[in-house]
Amino acid sequence: MANKPFLPALLLAVTANLAWADHITDPDGFTRPLEHLKFNPGLDQREFERASFDALNVYDPWERWNRRVYHFNYRFDEWVFLPMVRGYRYVTPRPVRNGVSNFFANLGDVPNLVNSLLQLKGRRSMEITCRLLFNTTFGVLGLWDPASRMGLPKHSEDFGQTLGFYGVPEGPYLMLPLLGPSNLRDTAGLVTDYAVEFGVNYLDVAQTSSEHPEITVLKAVDKRHVTNFRYGQTNSPFEYEKIRYVYTESRKLQIAD
Amino acid sequence: MSVLLRLAVLFAALVLSATSQALTQPDATSYGYPLANPFEATIATTPPALRPALPDDEDIDQADHSLRLRPEREFSLQKNFWPVSRLTYRLARQDGPAPLVFLIAGTGAHYASSLNEYLKKLLYGAGFHVVQLSSPTSYDFMAAASRHATPGISSEDADDLYRVMQAVRARHPHLQVTDYHLAGYSLGALHAAFVSRLDESRRAFNFKRVLMLNPPVNLYTSTSNLDRLVQTRVSGIDDSTTFYQVVMAKLTRYFREKGYIDLSEALLYDFQQSKEQLSDEQMAMLIGSVFRFSAADIVFTSDLLNRRGLITPPNYPITESTRLEPFFRRALQCDFDCYIREQLLPMWRVQTNGNSLMQMVDQISLYALEDYLRRSGKILVMHNADDIILGPGDLGFLRRALGERLILYPRGGHCGNLNYRVNANDMLEFLRG
Repeated sequence: MANKPFLPALLLAVTANLAWADHITDPDGFTRPLEHLKFNPGLDQREFERASFDALNVYDPWERWNRRVYHFNYRFDEWVFLPMVRGYRYVTPRPVRNGVSNFFANLGDVPNLVNSLLQLKGRRSMEITCRLLFNTTFGVLGLWDPASRMGLPKHSEDFGQTLGFYGVPEGPYLMLPLLGPSNLRDTAGLVTDYAVEFGVNYLDVAQTSSEHPEITVLKAVDKRHVTNFRYGQTNSPFEYEKIRYVYTESRKLQIAD
Repeated sequence: MSVLLRLAVLFAALVLSATSQALTQPDATSYGYPLANPFEATIATTPPALRPALPDDEDIDQADHSLRLRPEREFSLQKNFWPVSRLTYRLARQDGPAPLVFLIAGTGAHYASSLNEYLKKLLYGAGFHVVQLSSPTSYDFMAAASRHATPGISSEDADDLYRVMQAVRARHPHLQVTDYHLAGYSLGALHAAFVSRLDESRRAFNFKRVLMLNPPVNLYTSTSNLDRLVQTRVSGIDDSTTFYQVVMAKLTRYFREKGYIDLSEALLYDFQQSKEQLSDEQMAMLIGSVFRFSAADIVFTSDLLNRRGLITPPNYPITESTRLEPFFRRALQCDFDCYIREQLLPMWRVQTNGNSLMQMVDQISLYALEDYLRRSGKILVMHNADDIILGPGDLGFLRRALGERLILYPRGGHCGNLNYRVNANDMLEFLRG
């Protein structure tokens, strides 16, 4: 298992060595890597600027509102959400936390399956069905994730992706309070998925959590616990624009996949 | 004549390689780092199987703290920039007394940049307290800790860093520290050298060892190299397809082939093994683009804080709902060279009655420290023969100045081999002493 990546690495080393064998080496050992590149003769190409400007073109008519929500979310994260996550990590041992994450992830496989079926993805629907079966039974109601160990990778399909799959455009970019970046289409998807989860009422969790809001809080804390993103991590005055671009592109990737 | 010259070069090369053999320098065959292409190494770093074992994040006793170093900025900074009115850093502490390492991030990078995080894990696992600091060229440092907010004058940046380190030390009086060490990568390595020299006179820490990983030698060569990377002739772009779209299309096809989206640390490496792999020119363009975004952040932030009016009109009201895109677009058109000409050099001239660009470059590059590097036995430089931020002659300078205290690896690009086992061992061996 650990040796597996060695083979491609070795092959690569051999082929790359051939390509990089005939280069000049200075007496001090320097190999002048930039001299291998083909440059634009005038060094006046504006492709970086053109591509970056194009990336900034995301339909965002509600930007003023969105920016306020972005700052609200940033503060909420710093002052409420992350302290809660730290407290949660402090009081729960790791196996418990993993169990909680697996449990909610298993519930999430229900909308994953519904949306996979709606997109007529047969193989993927089979995989998610197997995941649900194995994890709910052998995994004791999803507290444990034997399916991933058996080579059934986790898929993520939501109704926003289903809509995108059938050609529904993104609509305006939308920053949702507490939930973060989205757009009109994906927000509609979010509401639908929530309704599905409630309607299916898998393992009776949706029903119970309407009586016990602490389950919803736990779910939110768990969600934040497994999400690696931190506000300020791009460390740029233009974080808003960067998140907007990354969100838009990653949704396109997810829909195409 | 030319034959003689060639012979002389050959002879020099032989002598150099002979001496380097004697210093247990890694050579191409025994080194074993698999990526011979410097651009690939820079982007994908080391294949996961060849990385050192690291402690889990959850096993590290660490927390973020913030310092209020420039209280006036809370008023002078516009509302939109509330997150950076205080400087945040990360401290990972051992249970008992231990040596402490200050880590300085590279160009534009944050205290929690991926390389800083990696180095923290490596050093923490080896029993060090670790303090992670943002680069003086980063947005948060410029706003919260820098006096001039115009990074690039290395001695001034080192001075700012030194104040930050002292404030960090004062903030944790109960932390038991046996020795102080200093480490930095890329531009942070250059800063580490300047900080170390400053410490020789201020003596707040008496750094025991200073580790410089892939430093620029001539800062202007490095910024020119980085600026040039976005000028490569890239295939696949036309009137309707931009460079980013080309890359995204490749990623999309790659994931579709794979069957599911997996953002693991092996992603970039696996991607370069697939048939969608990027060409050298495309990788260079990608690296250049990342640095251009850092340049844009520096250009915008420095201009704004100093009210120079090049990007943002002075006193332009910025609130939390203000669109910054027009300023972003303007800043994106300014590369490192433009920043140096329009903001750094004019400030330097005013402050020092200075003269030409070349004089400034001499003062802000490692040349300014040549004697110090030669004398100071506590400094070690680790560098790569194929680093893209270097120019001809730079390694020669390092060899002359450092002698045996330069470890030159045959491969690795820019910082691509820092997470290779061999390099990790060398770092720990040096810092443990």
